[in-house]
Amino acid sequence: MASLQGYVDHRVLLILQDGRAIVGVMAGYDQKSNVVLSDTKERVYSMEEGVEEIPLGLYLVKGDQIVLIAELDDALDQSVDLSTIRAEPLPPIRY
Amino acid sequence: QLPLSLLNAAQNKPMLVELKNGETFNGHLVNCDNFMNITLREVYQTNADGDRFWKLKECYIRGSTIKYLRVPDTLLDAVKEEQNKAREAGRSARGAHVSGAGNRGV
Repeated sequence: MASLQGYVDHRVLLILQDGRAIVGVMAGYDQKSNVVLSDTKERVYSMEEGVEEIPLGLYLVKGDQIVLIAELDDALDQSVDLSTIRAEPLPPIRY
Repeated sequence: QLPLSLLNAAQNKPMLVELKNGETFNGHLVNCDNFMNITLREVYQTNADGDRFWKLKECYIRGSTIKYLRVPDTLLDAVKEEQNKAREAGRSARGAHVSGAGNRGV
């Protein structure tokens, strides 16, 4: 049975249906997978420049918009220099 | 239950709501329900392209159309504080009950 309880108070990466990648500390969730993220930052990937991190504060994301929730390994994440990363931004979901 | 508690605690606070179609609504939360339907007042509505603006005195937004909400950071501490207080109150009340019943058996 998949439960989000293990992710609470951990830094997570959320991928939304519009292709956005959001990083934050998961403060809470509910049965519909709505998620509360604190200290949220949006990561914008591009092929020309490094990753842009936009701080967004306290976020309530609707569960139906969430595609993926990943637990971030803080040590691994700190060791990455975001300015060197080049990547295509994720496209939004098409049905 | 944190998401809905957070929303209920946000009454009268300013927030930003983005809908699935990309429109954004900036306003103060009047009320909300379990479906996350919300009413806002003093609302600034912006279309998805960010080139058209409306000012609305009050509006109702259906929860199913919401993509996400941005709320003031201070709200999280307030809600956690309330949840802790509720848990403490529940625990002390239940503790008194349990010890009373146990003694009567002996």
